[in-house]
Amino acid sequence: MTTQQLPEPAGLRARRFRPAEQGVVLLLGAAATISVLITVGIVFTLIEEGSGFWGSVSLVDFFTGTEWFPVDRVYGVLPLLSASVLIAVLAALVAVPIGIGSAIYLSEYADERTRRVVKPILELLAGMPTIVLGFFALESVTPALQGAGIIPSDQLFNALAAGIVVGLLIVPLIASLSEDAFRAVPAAMREGAYGLGATKRVVATRIVFPAALSGVMASIVLALSRAIGETMAVTLAAGTQPNFTADPTEPVQTITAVIVAVSKGEATRGSELYQSIFAIGLVLFVVTMLINIAATALVRRFRTVYH
Amino acid sequence: MATSTPTSADIPAARPLARKRARPGDQIFHAAVFSALLIALAALVWLLISVVAKGATALDWDFLSSQTSSRASRAGFLNALKGSVVLMIITIAVAVPLGFAAATYLEKFAPLSRDELRVITRRRRRALELRRAAGELTGPRLLASRLGIALSAVWARIGPPLNTFVEINLSNLAAVPSIIYGLLGLALFVQIMGISKSLLAGGLTLAILVLPIIIIASREAIRAVPRSIEQGAMALGASRWQAVRSHVLPAALPGMLTGTILAMSRAIGETAPLVVVGGVAFGTAVPSINPLNAANEDLFAMPLQIYTWVDQPQEDTWGPLAAAGIIVLLVTLVVMNLLAIWLRNRFTRRW
Repeated sequence: MTTQQLPEPAGLRARRFRPAEQGVVLLLGAAATISVLITVGIVFTLIEEGSGFWGSVSLVDFFTGTEWFPVDRVYGVLPLLSASVLIAVLAALVAVPIGIGSAIYLSEYADERTRRVVKPILELLAGMPTIVLGFFALESVTPALQGAGIIPSDQLFNALAAGIVVGLLIVPLIASLSEDAFRAVPAAMREGAYGLGATKRVVATRIVFPAALSGVMASIVLALSRAIGETMAVTLAAGTQPNFTADPTEPVQTITAVIVAVSKGEATRGSELYQSIFAIGLVLFVVTMLINIAATALVRRFRTVYH
Repeated sequence: MATSTPTSADIPAARPLARKRARPGDQIFHAAVFSALLIALAALVWLLISVVAKGATALDWDFLSSQTSSRASRAGFLNALKGSVVLMIITIAVAVPLGFAAATYLEKFAPLSRDELRVITRRRRRALELRRAAGELTGPRLLASRLGIALSAVWARIGPPLNTFVEINLSNLAAVPSIIYGLLGLALFVQIMGISKSLLAGGLTLAILVLPIIIIASREAIRAVPRSIEQGAMALGASRWQAVRSHVLPAALPGMLTGTILAMSRAIGETAPLVVVGGVAFGTAVPSINPLNAANEDLFAMPLQIYTWVDQPQEDTWGPLAAAGIIVLLVTLVVMNLLAIWLRNRFTRRW
């Protein structure tokens, strides 16, 4: 668009210039800038407060070490990172089938009234404080797993119970974003398939699902990022024992759980332990950032626009 | 080319329509997706039942009105309740003005393109020259106006790319794990600014945490007001800010408040950032509900108190207290959500 297309007021006296209003707009703009300052603040504090740590612990040891044992000054991030990933994967195993199944039901099968009742209930699950889910994992899920003989009855903490409740937490996220993606598929595509004799199942699995795949994938990736950053449920249910394992029945300690454990213990500023939580916080921040960028790229790359 | 209408002779005689065939595959699929939803709902019901079963006995007036204590039989939720009230007041006081202002800017002033900004600058310059020629502008006022115009010329160049950057940044911020905000609060408020590990530090941290959520929700509410409202006002001579202030914002306000309440219901349940900022509550003094004194009050909050209780080794004595606390927290959340829904249904206008 060129400037010529916007005519200037010719005979009219031009609108008066109001400096006070420019000031107001400036203030509004300043408020918007705060969101940038927050990002800068996060990156700055994570790097600055953890800077001493990178001086005293070698990067290679940090990223390849399979033990996290601050008392002996052994800082290997792998057991923490693997625990975070393990719980996110367990959560996805729970949440992906339930979330996508619910989304298909709500968008293809349910009538309007059911949807109006069910969606706010699912949102209630999404808004559940994670401390409540932690309590639930500890009080109900773990005893149930013990009862089923999946984990030993003398062992309270395990990755599985944490993974299950985090899975419940992200079900609504996957369900709601996937349902949006399913409903964005034009009705004409469904009608066409029905016209050719397809059944509801065929329409859902062969027409709607592939057409909405990018949205579904993005919802899963966003849910994974949420699961990796999840803190309280994981801290309470998975334990406080750094453990480099892929066995879901064992106790593990995630990045977030270490940060909570150290914060509870009042580490003094400048100590290596204090610096270490900013170092692993930086790792967590970078990992979730990368996942979010991947989700955005995924949507942009594979989105099909229907008219 | 002659077209002939097909006659019934051209169409093969229709077979009688087959009766609807039973399709086991379809029935199984239907049952599978339905049970997926049922499992999600059943888990929610199981959660609620196990919390109520555990906490109902501990939940009484004594529980709500007693201070926290190291003896389970005497411990109550009063510190946590008052702490959460103060935290909410601080969070709202900081995050709502900033969030509404940022949303207004991003939705109504930032989208102006470079060309539009240039035209505005040129109009202002012409207006200035006209008024100067008429002798209306002299001395310092002339200088101030010139400066303002120079600034808006610079802004026409750098503004649009900056605004795009703010957009991207905002969507990323909303996805940052809450515990990272805790680390920011600990470093910024407690260590660098020297605020003690108090309600004030906790409230400011929560304000930073919910700010992106409030901005995003408020923008949606502002976007829902049709552009014609604003354009109508501007056609009658209002400036853009006048149109936004007196027409767009009043119409968008119910939606913005709904978004704010939902953001607050997120903040009131947050535990992780508070643990990182304040550690686990060691103090015993009941906070006063006076936000101005918040810098001197120990950090108490409902989720923090619940965490302290869940984390105790003797599960049998502390478990019911934690469950009772959870019931109070969940009731608060449900009330806030109902309020948001009511607000949305009562005041939102359909255009």
